[in-house]
Amino acid sequence: MSDFIVNIIHRPEMVPEYSATVTGHGKKEDIGDKKLLTESLDIFKTQQRVAHENGLKVTIQMTYASLFNEEAVQIAKDDHEKFGDEIALSLLGLPCEQFRKKYKTKDFCIWMFSMEDKKAIVNDVFEKFHDAFGFYPESTGSYYLDAELINYIKEAYPSVKCAVATCWEEGPKAYHTCNNSWYTFMDGGPWAPWIPSKVNTHAPAANEAEDSGIVAIPHLSRDLLACYDGNGSNFGTHPQNVLRGMIYDSKTWEFPYLFNLIDQYRSLEKYNNGYAYNMMFVGPGWMNKMGRWEAPYELLEKSYSEGCRYYGDLKKEGKLLDMTMAEFADYYRQKKSYTEPECALWRDILYGSDKQLFWYCDPYMRAGVNMDQGGAIFDLRPYAAKLEWPIGIGTDHIQDASYPFLIQEKYRAGYFTHYAGEGTIRSAKVCRGGEEVDLCLTRTHAHFAEEKVLGENGKSKAGAKRILTLDPVDIEFCDLTVKLQTVITFEEGSGEIRIDRKILEMSDPDAEIEIREYMVACYGTTEYTENMTGITLGAVDEAGCRQYIDYEYKCRDLAVPGAECVSASVPQIKTKVSMRSSGGAVGIVREGYAFSPMFTLGFNKNVRNKEVFTTWLRLEREN
Amino acid sequence: MAQAGKGKLNYRCPSCFMRDLDIDMFYDRDKREYYCLRCQFTGTEEKILKWNELVRLRYGAMNKRITKFDFD
Repeated sequence: MSDFIVNIIHRPEMVPEYSATVTGHGKKEDIGDKKLLTESLDIFKTQQRVAHENGLKVTIQMTYASLFNEEAVQIAKDDHEKFGDEIALSLLGLPCEQFRKKYKTKDFCIWMFSMEDKKAIVNDVFEKFHDAFGFYPESTGSYYLDAELINYIKEAYPSVKCAVATCWEEGPKAYHTCNNSWYTFMDGGPWAPWIPSKVNTHAPAANEAEDSGIVAIPHLSRDLLACYDGNGSNFGTHPQNVLRGMIYDSKTWEFPYLFNLIDQYRSLEKYNNGYAYNMMFVGPGWMNKMGRWEAPYELLEKSYSEGCRYYGDLKKEGKLLDMTMAEFADYYRQKKSYTEPECALWRDILYGSDKQLFWYCDPYMRAGVNMDQGGAIFDLRPYAAKLEWPIGIGTDHIQDASYPFLIQEKYRAGYFTHYAGEGTIRSAKVCRGGEEVDLCLTRTHAHFAEEKVLGENGKSKAGAKRILTLDPVDIEFCDLTVKLQTVITFEEGSGEIRIDRKILEMSDPDAEIEIREYMVACYGTTEYTENMTGITLGAVDEAGCRQYIDYEYKCRDLAVPGAECVSASVPQIKTKVSMRSSGGAVGIVREGYAFSPMFTLGFNKNVRNKEVFTTWLRLEREN
Repeated sequence: MAQAGKGKLNYRCPSCFMRDLDIDMFYDRDKREYYCLRCQFTGTEEKILKWNELVRLRYGAMNKRITKFDFD
């Protein structure tokens, strides 16, 4: 029996995002506009009605502004009584006359305030909530909650057990889509619920000592392929986001994509021990009576109604559990161990291709594997470093909450670059004579398997393996054809990715080829390069002697026969990344240069028919 | 000319949308056309709606109901 869980969240936002600027064009800003307040509340009432008509429970996230509105407070109390809705507290929706007067700022993203202001606002909002309802909330959230803020909330208000804490891959792409005016940089996090570590929200806790005390949920459930290369706000379990992407038939107003997206999320239970999750959270600005961009109100309302109806129908069929956020937090802690990864074998459901990705997330890493590029790792975040990264005014990262990458094929190219240099990717080249074929050019698909290791509590534990077996591919040289299969194994709790290359067949059984396993990497959070000075590249030979290169953009390299290990220490993100091999290989280390600010680690080995060449990539904290 | 405003619906520039940019367009009453502040696109409502269909060309499976998500 598998569980598909949905959290449906509404917030009575008295000054909805967009409403004041979009529908109020040509008028002087007035966030106390009575017409706007009435309309906002009407939208909230509509959302509540639609969810309840479909038999769905809601988490009502009261905004600061709504706590000053007696009608909004009463609706929340009534719907809690009647439908079992949870009354929670959002740190979105701060803007209102009272807030502006008190804090004398137009800032509204809680993670961007100074720590001093964050604490003051949290105290203010939570106490106001208590005044209204007589208890403190169990759930809260924003688009992003930084670790320091979560720690403070948990310390001051220990009743909180669940929070909306990030929005998957909302970063430079969203900024770009919004004409470089939307300052939410939070790439690199989990796409599904997790327990944040005390040090960095994006990096899941590896154990109780690292546990921040809350279960985090993402803001919406995003398309794990479309969002990586496009505007995230078009591809999620937010019906009006789908309209924003114009992903509907303009004549019939049908939008099967939304239901395909929900169903693909449902299918992820296969990779996560019978558990799958969805979150739908539509702010009232998206159901504006004036319409939203080219979508009239009738279409906005239709999409929300049909979204709720689909979840409601699944519930009636026994295929969905609707929970409040607090209920979900209890469920999640009972279901998952700290080290159990979140896995998603994901296919394109929008563009009509057969592209397939695999996403893996645990306390040590987030990794993306692209089967359309022969199983190349195209995104890698070293959570093992548990990087301290304070955010907000007064820190080094006022807006940038993204967890740094080592590999990001869109921001730092991937296999394909223009003219010169290399892009970040973890792949292999298969070589014979003067010919070289990169596995990035071999399109294939993968199949998932699991070697379970369960603890006494029945939960997954260290040592369990998630195995991706790729369909074999043919490599054609002028005088030889090689059938090669890639198997990628993620061992729970190890911080390692194992990659096996199996030579299944050769047209000449006595031939020999060379496999060059490689990883081109750097570090960063945006599209633009960072200073690589300070990175140390190293190789340890058979005798245990270490050779190294201090990064100076000099295009140097090392080739160490029989190397035990090759590594890069990246102090800027307190990360050490290393590779080792199954033996008999030449360790490769390459420095980059100014036009190609990357480093390369790898192993080269000659292999014959039926042989297997194995390498491991390892992530650790370096300090 | 008088200042531009918004039309009855808030159209985005289809040309910018094709490069993943959401840019509101403004309406020039004198020329009876929408125009983009960022790029050189101008057009009537009819032209915008036509171009919006071009936007959708990228979504090859937009109208397809998908029930199989693996390749097993």
